[in-house]
Amino acid sequence: MEVQQFYYDNKIVKKFIYATMLWGIVGMSVGLLLAFMFLFPNVTDGISWLSFGRLRPLHTNAVIFAFVGNAIFAGVYYSTQRLLKARMFSDVLSNINFWGWQLIIVAAAITLPLGFSTSKEYAELEWPIDIAIALVWVAFGANLIGTMIKRRQRHLYVAIWFYLATFVTVAVLHIFNSLELPVSALKSYSVYAGVQDALVQWWYGHNAVAFFLTTPFLGLMYYFVPKAANRPVYSYRLSIVHFWSLIFIYISGRTSPLIILRIAGLGSKPWGSLFSYVDSSFLGWYDQWSFDLEGCLGQGAYGSYA
Amino acid sequence: MSVIYVLLAISIIVAMVFFAAFIFSVKNGQYDDSYTPSVRMLFEDELVKQKKSLQKSNMDTSIESNN
Amino acid sequence: MDLHLCHQVLANELWKNNPVITVVMIAVPTVSNTTKNASVATDAKRSTRFFRKTISLIITTYRLQQVLRPPRLKVNMTFSETESIIEKLTEFNDGNLQIVNLYVPLIHCSSCIWVLENLNKLNPFISSSQVNFSKKTVRIAYDSQKTSLKDVVLLLARIGYEPYISLEDIDGKEKKVDRSLIYKLGVAGFAFGNVMFLSFPDYFDLSSSKTSGGEFWLNQYEVVFRWLMFAFSLPVVFYAGADYFVSAYKGLRSKILNIDVPISLGILVLFVRSTLEIMFDWGSGFFDSLTGLVFFLLLGKFFQQKTYSFLSFERDYKSYFPIAVTKINDDGTEESVQVHEIKQGDLLLIRNEELIPVDGIHYKGKAQIDYSFVTGESVPVEREFGDKVFAGGRQMNGPIEVEALKSVSQSYLTQLWSNSVFKTDKSTRFQNITDSIGKRFTIGVLTIAFLATSYWIYFDPSLAMNVFTAVLIIACPCAIALASPFTLGNMLRIFGQKKFYLRDTSAIEQLAQVDTAIFDKTGTITTSKQSTATYQGMPLTPEEESLLKNTLRASNHPLSRTLYDILSDHNIYTLDDYEEHLGKGLEGSKGNKHIKIGSSEFVGKEEVSDSLNTAVHVASNNTYKGKYVFHNQYREGVTEVFEQMAGQLQLAILSGDNEGEKRNLEKLLPKLTPLYFNQKPEDKLAFITSLQEQCKKVLMVGDGLNDAGALAQAEVGIAISENINVFSPACDGILDASKFQQLYQYIIASKKAMKIIKLSFLLSLLYNVVGLYFAVTGQLEPVIAAILMPLSSISVVGFTTIMTNLQGRKLK
Repeated sequence: MEVQQFYYDNKIVKKFIYATMLWGIVGMSVGLLLAFMFLFPNVTDGISWLSFGRLRPLHTNAVIFAFVGNAIFAGVYYSTQRLLKARMFSDVLSNINFWGWQLIIVAAAITLPLGFSTSKEYAELEWPIDIAIALVWVAFGANLIGTMIKRRQRHLYVAIWFYLATFVTVAVLHIFNSLELPVSALKSYSVYAGVQDALVQWWYGHNAVAFFLTTPFLGLMYYFVPKAANRPVYSYRLSIVHFWSLIFIYISGRTSPLIILRIAGLGSKPWGSLFSYVDSSFLGWYDQWSFDLEGCLGQGAYGSYA
Repeated sequence: MSVIYVLLAISIIVAMVFFAAFIFSVKNGQYDDSYTPSVRMLFEDELVKQKKSLQKSNMDTSIESNN
Repeated sequence: MDLHLCHQVLANELWKNNPVITVVMIAVPTVSNTTKNASVATDAKRSTRFFRKTISLIITTYRLQQVLRPPRLKVNMTFSETESIIEKLTEFNDGNLQIVNLYVPLIHCSSCIWVLENLNKLNPFISSSQVNFSKKTVRIAYDSQKTSLKDVVLLLARIGYEPYISLEDIDGKEKKVDRSLIYKLGVAGFAFGNVMFLSFPDYFDLSSSKTSGGEFWLNQYEVVFRWLMFAFSLPVVFYAGADYFVSAYKGLRSKILNIDVPISLGILVLFVRSTLEIMFDWGSGFFDSLTGLVFFLLLGKFFQQKTYSFLSFERDYKSYFPIAVTKINDDGTEESVQVHEIKQGDLLLIRNEELIPVDGIHYKGKAQIDYSFVTGESVPVEREFGDKVFAGGRQMNGPIEVEALKSVSQSYLTQLWSNSVFKTDKSTRFQNITDSIGKRFTIGVLTIAFLATSYWIYFDPSLAMNVFTAVLIIACPCAIALASPFTLGNMLRIFGQKKFYLRDTSAIEQLAQVDTAIFDKTGTITTSKQSTATYQGMPLTPEEESLLKNTLRASNHPLSRTLYDILSDHNIYTLDDYEEHLGKGLEGSKGNKHIKIGSSEFVGKEEVSDSLNTAVHVASNNTYKGKYVFHNQYREGVTEVFEQMAGQLQLAILSGDNEGEKRNLEKLLPKLTPLYFNQKPEDKLAFITSLQEQCKKVLMVGDGLNDAGALAQAEVGIAISENINVFSPACDGILDASKFQQLYQYIIASKKAMKIIKLSFLLSLLYNVVGLYFAVTGQLEPVIAAILMPLSSISVVGFTTIMTNLQGRKLK
């Protein structure tokens, strides 16, 4: 009942920020190298682990999961503690999250150039790393939910909901897409065969954009933009409506047979690509638009539909 | 194509979970006040400078809160 | 950056407890939320520095104020002594932890939130406090073993956030929050989102073209998709849309064809036909239109519900009356009793600034009673021993003792609430515009449906059922049902921005129809802030006037204060002699000059005063000079408002006062405006009723509790309020006093809003005609329904929003 004193865990936030910067430099440097390869295709000739085919997945993984991933964690760990008025649920889980994630990145940086790949885009990593990703992601989720349970602030700010949605959906996407049968230490086959595998893969691929690159940053922007401007969002009610309508439409729109329909039609029928365009634009613009309505003109990190 | 059933089931389960969360949070009065939280999040926490805490972990922000 | 007194007080309070915290606290930047002006956004760092510099100054100033004038607590603490009352006031109480939700009208800025949510810095036994800014409440949890409700309330009062606790807090407490519309909206939105995506394949006519090949996968899973859509539509029809069925059923039972009849018919036909279609594989049904329809309709309902959570339109006398008063027993002991338990003959102690809860006889003490809650008159009246005092008055001058003559509910003012007008729901007496066209619409649609069906039965019976259902589906008046909520809902918001707060959208509809406007006088067309006085008699010399002003300066009597403010400035000097004769007047002298101010007998005037107005007489050196006659100060623009209205509306003034102002009013108002004086609360109510019996639609404009009956009885009751946070009786709308001049413009805007609705009815009928063409000819495809329905709804919503906003721009 008395006044409580507690400490925010800022160390973990700093660690994630340093990691973000480091992997940002690494990932973008690889991208630069790849760009040079368009001009000078033979620049790494003869070195198999520096060939375009192996570096390209390394680049996408480094930028999406290492750079953006660490940025998400840094922002989430910083804002969650402050929004919920509580230290993170467990320092051990925080550190498992941090070191586990860095280990996964290092493992990816080694295995991908060496040619170990499931050849599923954005999910190239082999089964032991997939399991590690699942475990670390669940550690993150447990830490987040644990903090929510022991929070001192009754109201869950809208940003927290975005984080929660990110955790749940990415976990589901990753686990179901990565179901595979190992045949050796670094080789596995997907449990889905042929076209089914492609369906699941692109169900994952599309959703990864939505739930790994979009929702967490919407949450972060709902925290950091008002903080930076030192004024509340234009309408908090609208931000609540934004979250729930996004969830109700996204989960069906992104996860439902629509995606399958799109893949089925894509290429074979002109309406397929038209529809795909309309749908992506709608959902993408929906986000942009809702957030712009909030009077925040920054579009930043989430305009990643193309 | 049985995997479509799997994906469909997953989608619907996830959607249902969020729908339940929605109902639950409305019921709990989470959205009864749709203004104050947006102001509350702007307040900075109060730093309490104490020697002990400085020694213990100089990188942690210490704050006081009520519970 | 605004530094309010409340924060200064708090700064002082914090300083005493912990000087370090104070600096931090004062550094709280005021968040510029209320204004959208970006330049107001402040630099937090700069303001921190500013505040550190000014803090010591603030504290010194405040301490000085404390010495000069210790703060008076207006809050009545009588309740805090009785266990049973505390039990009723608290939300939660387990002997250790008590949670109380207090209404604090003074919450007004973001720093208030900060201050009130950090109460535990001032009282460590308060474990948490949470502000609801829009409702202006703070929910406080505290350890009842170590602190008490009384301490908490006193703390709040001391830091300038006096909570408002009234009889209402313990009487009608069980107010449940109705969130069912949000659930329904959630269900419908959720289902609509999913069904829309599930039915996309059908829009492109893929799965239905099995014969021509189509998409293999989609054909294969068609059945699953369809039954999924069916499953999603179940809760929409039977839960989210249930209200429409209930309302249609109720309407039919009382033989009224309201708009919900064709809506329910549409929903039902959509559902049954769609189910049959997927059951027998005729097609994929109209589940998208069905869920969309319900979703849009509920959205309209949601939009219509603009609530001003910081205002209450339901207040009766209970919101103003205290919970408990102090009763003096025969043996001289005092105890606090709930006001409902007061019996005739009880001797009550009314402290300074407390409200008199029952009619009684003034027994002891100096009674100076402010009846402004009741009548709007702000000048307190003095009462002698043995005079009657009425419930609702506030004692202004030290404690008095009053013997109760009646119980609370029997008192002069409060018995007004036993009138049946307060028990009937006003909205049931009124049929709104949508329902009134519902009848014609339903008959029209059914006629077309039957005609078309009989035609097809004759020519091609296989299409007959299809056409019949298609007509009912396409004619489902979604856009019509949305026109009024969006127009009026938007108008309600626009009015709100202009400080005219209406209870609900039906108030706008009724306001558009009024043909009679009745005004209360005191507090409604007069201001409560100032009054004017004119001097009649022999002119005063400058010395006399100077002496007059200096004599008045010493008096605390309300009339003296008013007159002092009116008189022009003079040098301030010390009087040689000053004496105040209670209930009579003042005497002062300087040198050889002597002045007497007060009642006519006191100053020695022989003839009886003929004026009904309050007057203060002046005699200099024992010769009668003249008198200051007080007049009401009329609101700016009263004449203009009445002149604008005079041509359009029948006007009248109903005043509870005497005829003293009659001549003034006649000058101000259009000729032949009927003026009625000495109207009791019941008379006002009866007057409105008699007008209504002549089929008049009455607008009542009032302000005090004595207008409450008339406000409730009138088609539209509008309360004028100089401070919307403080006070207004039950009504349909609250008008900020500064906007009084705009009253007629608001009525015109309401009329325009009704025109906009009628225009949008036409617009949606156009869509219906197009849709009916497809329906009657038997060509209605799901995709047509799916396009037409949202298109008509969206264009109606867009049209009404633009039109009302244009209208709103014309308002000041």
